[in-house]
Amino acid sequence: MTLLRAPSPAVPERTAAKARPRRGRAGRRPRVLIAITALFFALLYLPIAVVGLFSFNSQKSLTVFDGFSLRWYRAFAHDDLLLSSLGTSLRISLVAMAGSVLLGVALALGLVRCRTRLGSLAGLIMLVPLITPEIVTGVASMLLFKGLGVPLSTGTVMLAEITFSISYVTVILRSRVAALNPEVEEAAMDLGATRWQAVRLVTLPALLPAVLASAVLIFALVFDDFVLAYFTTGVDPQPLSVRIYSAIRFGVQPTINAVGTLMLAGSIALIALALFIPRLFGRRGGLDLLSGK
Amino acid sequence: MALPRPFTRGRRDTSGNRMWVWLMLPGTLWMTGFLIASLVLVAVLAVGTTDELGNPRFGFDLAGVRALADPAYTEVMARSLGYALLTCLICLLIAYPVAYTIALHGGRYKHALIAAIVVPFFANYLVRMYGWSVVLSDDGPVLRTLRAVGLADGGTKILNSGLGVVAGLVYGFVVFMIIPLYAALERLDVSLIEAGRDLYGGPVRTFFFVTLPATRQGAAAGLVLVFLPAMGDFVSAQLMGGPDQIMIGNLIQDKFFQGQNWPLGSALTMLLMLVLLIGMLGYLRRTRKDEAEARR
Repeated sequence: MTLLRAPSPAVPERTAAKARPRRGRAGRRPRVLIAITALFFALLYLPIAVVGLFSFNSQKSLTVFDGFSLRWYRAFAHDDLLLSSLGTSLRISLVAMAGSVLLGVALALGLVRCRTRLGSLAGLIMLVPLITPEIVTGVASMLLFKGLGVPLSTGTVMLAEITFSISYVTVILRSRVAALNPEVEEAAMDLGATRWQAVRLVTLPALLPAVLASAVLIFALVFDDFVLAYFTTGVDPQPLSVRIYSAIRFGVQPTINAVGTLMLAGSIALIALALFIPRLFGRRGGLDLLSGK
Repeated sequence: MALPRPFTRGRRDTSGNRMWVWLMLPGTLWMTGFLIASLVLVAVLAVGTTDELGNPRFGFDLAGVRALADPAYTEVMARSLGYALLTCLICLLIAYPVAYTIALHGGRYKHALIAAIVVPFFANYLVRMYGWSVVLSDDGPVLRTLRAVGLADGGTKILNSGLGVVAGLVYGFVVFMIIPLYAALERLDVSLIEAGRDLYGGPVRTFFFVTLPATRQGAAAGLVLVFLPAMGDFVSAQLMGGPDQIMIGNLIQDKFFQGQNWPLGSALTMLLMLVLLIGMLGYLRRTRKDEAEARR
């Protein structure tokens, strides 16, 4: 690298010249824009802060803070209905995560490498959940189960959540698979590996950070999902978010603040983890949440 | 995506293709079986009926579809469309300055700032909306601040009004506008703005003739990404609005749970899909035209 750069000192100079006016522009602080952004951040975090703060309130009020207390957390810990819902949600998330990652990784590999008409059809089908609003998916899944005579239960929620999550896994992983150099796989095969061995021993390990990140993300998304679960769940046991929905519809219960705070903290931690996993592996890339669709 | 040519051809690849197809098959079949089949079912039930127990029965009965013309339902449709479009507009007005500030003035904190926006948006939607409804309530911090500075009086309300519903939708989905705009603004060549200034364009003229056109695609993507969920949402209208602010999502939910009129619910769902498809197609045509122009 040094050998290549040495003869052309003009290159770093030019980049420096290009960078200078940029810093100059940023130096002129656009106060109005910064104020708008600050206000945006304040309003973005205010609801989360309010739920968190009032979960520690010693009284029932949502507007007056009376004093610190763990009362509502204790109430949650003794609420068997909410606890069984928590267990149900965790089970659903785990199964949906395992199922959708398994199907999604295979689908992503196939979609990128397979150049047949079936491949483009599969690519189209995969996009459908992303452009369908959740309420439509919810209604459709419920009708399917009812039409087939399958009683709604935790199992039907799992099936619906897997269906919806496959697309996310595939979208996230597809760009990673495409970024892999296929020559490495070819090299493995030149050295005597079968194609399957090359995928298992070369491609999958390279994808591991992105696979883990998408698994964590799917777990959090499914755990938090409400609409699809609402349409496909049976009466008992219900997932936690469905319980929360009925609770906040029929008046405020401070226990919900405690549950909500725990859920917010949990999913924020998981999503932050999903964004950071690729860095733990010391590789660039991974979750491409920021580049948009 | 773009594999170098030699690797997509050759004898070894024809044998390999079969394995890729096998890998693709389970996921594709799963999606076809559950998703595509169920969407077809919704379309079929829109012209079907239900038996006394409420189980779907398939036939050909246009009662559900004909009921859509009922003024009570067209009003809800028009309202949903209005709320969703207003939400798109407000999201654009909020997201643009925020994305602009972070992308062009965020410096080395820009990734952290964008992550600080994205992470809470993926957290529980219900709990966030619930917190937002507390914030906007009559005794909440927003109205109290507005009253303190004299911008609102005792009678001003946000909740139980159209304003409340739109505020909920904006809070719920503004991130879908920020992400594509941020991506577009980050890609934007700053020297273009400088060129605009060098040619004696004022900041405002430069913005409208240089920055905005260059980020048009990001804005269009954001509009679609906000419009899709906003149009189908029913939580915001339920938590932030009153009975006079219901949207098509609430109507669908009602037909499937309380009202037990599944054919009508299915017809409403198909109508919603139709509106969204029209929006999507408009967006796709627009981007294709843009791409064609860029190629020229």
